[in-house]
Amino acid sequence: MTGTAEVGPLRWARAVGRGLYRSVVVTGVTGALPAVVVPVAFFGFRFARSWSTDLSAPLPVLALVYAGEIAMTLLWTGAAGWFVVAFLGRALSEAARWAARRWLGASVEPQYNPVLPVTRMATGFWWNGYAYHESQREARRRATLDARRRDPQLRRDALWLLVAAVTVLPAAAAPLACLAAGGYLLTRPDLLGYGLTLCAAGLAAAPFGWRLLGPVGVRLLGGSRRSMDRRVEELEAIRADLTQTQAAELERIERGLHDGAQARLVALGMSMGAAERLVDQDPAKAKQILAQARSSSAAALAELRSLVRGINPPVLAERGLVDAVRALALDAALPVEVRSTVPARPERPVESAIYFAVAELLANAVKHARASRIEIDLDYGERVLTATVTDDGVGGIGAAATEPGGTPSAPPAGSGLAGIERRMAAFGGVLRIDSPVGGPSRITVAVPCELS
Amino acid sequence: MRVVVAEDLFLLRDGLVRLVEAYGHAVVAAVGSGPETLDALLIHRPDVAIVDVRLPPTFSDEGLQAALAARREIPGLPVLILSQHVEQLYARELLADERGGIGYQLKDRVLDADQFTDALDRVAHGGTALDPTVVAKLLGRPARVDPLAALTDRERSVLALMAEGLSNAAIATRLFLSEGAISKYTTSIFAKLGIAAAEDTNRRVRAVLAYLDGSGG
Repeated sequence: MTGTAEVGPLRWARAVGRGLYRSVVVTGVTGALPAVVVPVAFFGFRFARSWSTDLSAPLPVLALVYAGEIAMTLLWTGAAGWFVVAFLGRALSEAARWAARRWLGASVEPQYNPVLPVTRMATGFWWNGYAYHESQREARRRATLDARRRDPQLRRDALWLLVAAVTVLPAAAAPLACLAAGGYLLTRPDLLGYGLTLCAAGLAAAPFGWRLLGPVGVRLLGGSRRSMDRRVEELEAIRADLTQTQAAELERIERGLHDGAQARLVALGMSMGAAERLVDQDPAKAKQILAQARSSSAAALAELRSLVRGINPPVLAERGLVDAVRALALDAALPVEVRSTVPARPERPVESAIYFAVAELLANAVKHARASRIEIDLDYGERVLTATVTDDGVGGIGAAATEPGGTPSAPPAGSGLAGIERRMAAFGGVLRIDSPVGGPSRITVAVPCELS
Repeated sequence: MRVVVAEDLFLLRDGLVRLVEAYGHAVVAAVGSGPETLDALLIHRPDVAIVDVRLPPTFSDEGLQAALAARREIPGLPVLILSQHVEQLYARELLADERGGIGYQLKDRVLDADQFTDALDRVAHGGTALDPTVVAKLLGRPARVDPLAALTDRERSVLALMAEGLSNAAIATRLFLSEGAISKYTTSIFAKLGIAAAEDTNRRVRAVLAYLDGSGG
């Protein structure tokens, strides 16, 4: 604010001007719903009344007709309100949020449901996260509708519009109404005094009226407390899970180093010492010890190598996800075909997570599916990286938890798949299983990410 | 022989230079990064190059890429790739041009100096020297291409050693057979794989490639 150095009247003038501008904006943002609903209710009722104005009937019948007309009007009004909320609700709420953030510094963070990407299932249908559809276009269109229909935030937006119409709107519109009425009275010489008073009152109220946006908006424009709490719980579970996995991994590495490579290096040093002592007295024996030492150093190297592979496969570091998956495919005991449309490397943690998920899925397919061939597809689109492992095996993964018709559902807890799902969740990703009994199985991991 | 050594770890580079010189070869350049490697290979055109897969500046597969780029410029330039780990994927890329003069070995092999210089010699003379680890991985897989299924067990083990890059004489010693018997096996392998008689080295590399394709993807 620049007004601090200015003199009183000028500061007041600026405050009033700003207040008027903000009142207009807030009135516009909160007044759209009443602007449609009130006329519909008013004229709708007059229209409904017109059906029976010249009706003469006994009182009970008249009362019944009257009630019917009111019900009709309510129906129309409700429909009009629903249309406004459905088509303008989000835009109006976003505008109110913008105003609350900019003028009041309020923190109002909505949580709209994202529109999920669609994936093709083995059955040929398209799955959009909610339901199956025959064509990709239909699935995309319905994904938007489904995301909207199931969005608690949109319901809260509707509540905000309703509440604001009876609280924020009157407060913000009052100064404007005073000015309008006062302006009109100023044109009537006999009511000049009233006009001046009204105008003065409107101007005086202008800096304050719109401020009701603050307390009401903070309560209704942000994400709902309950869904936020649930998200926090989810994130806490994921974090606990990751911490545990990480600790176990560190322990494994430490044990590997301690029992394996480290012990071998100590033994190596001891053999060298022995050889050093023997080299003059018994060269043949010394040579033998040195040869042993050499093979022991080779074993230590091999151990270190396998340890490193478990942390981060070298080929993943060198070539990235796609070639690392190709290398996996080459090492698999079954014919594996890898197809990729991923143009660049994703962020490293995501890359590593997807790689290990694919490695596990591939190992599962080889071990349990009784498959004869496996296909891996890597795709990137709409900022989501997906890896799909398809096998022609017996299927029935998570059969106990799968509803009839092969609808994907949560994998059984405790299985490797549940582990993959949790790790994907840490990156905001998902695991989808399509594995009807009798096969084939198709498992997809999808993670939103940017490519480098 | 004139040798170029490309390795970023000073200790290992120094050791390699000493080793190569101890066997009476001349090291014409010892470099430590990808671009330097490519330059050295193109300028010196060595009889054989020893190249580490992972080199600066990116510490990805700079060395491998430099070697492949140099071989595109100088077809058949003998290169022995050393790596901390061996990948079938890289073995395939190296063997893709069928010209031989290719080695791909674990760094550990340097510990056995005789075997290492033997591999170096083979590569310098246009042969192949695949690490037994790669070959073992290939052997571990069920073959699914018919020509390979037609091979007898003995022929398969001969082919495996051929894939490592051994000569007939060396294979004979390993399998305790006469050299004549080995050449009979190789002839029947070439026949079964449908590889026509051409230049001998090429035929061996192509047999190895058929083997890789048969066992891989």
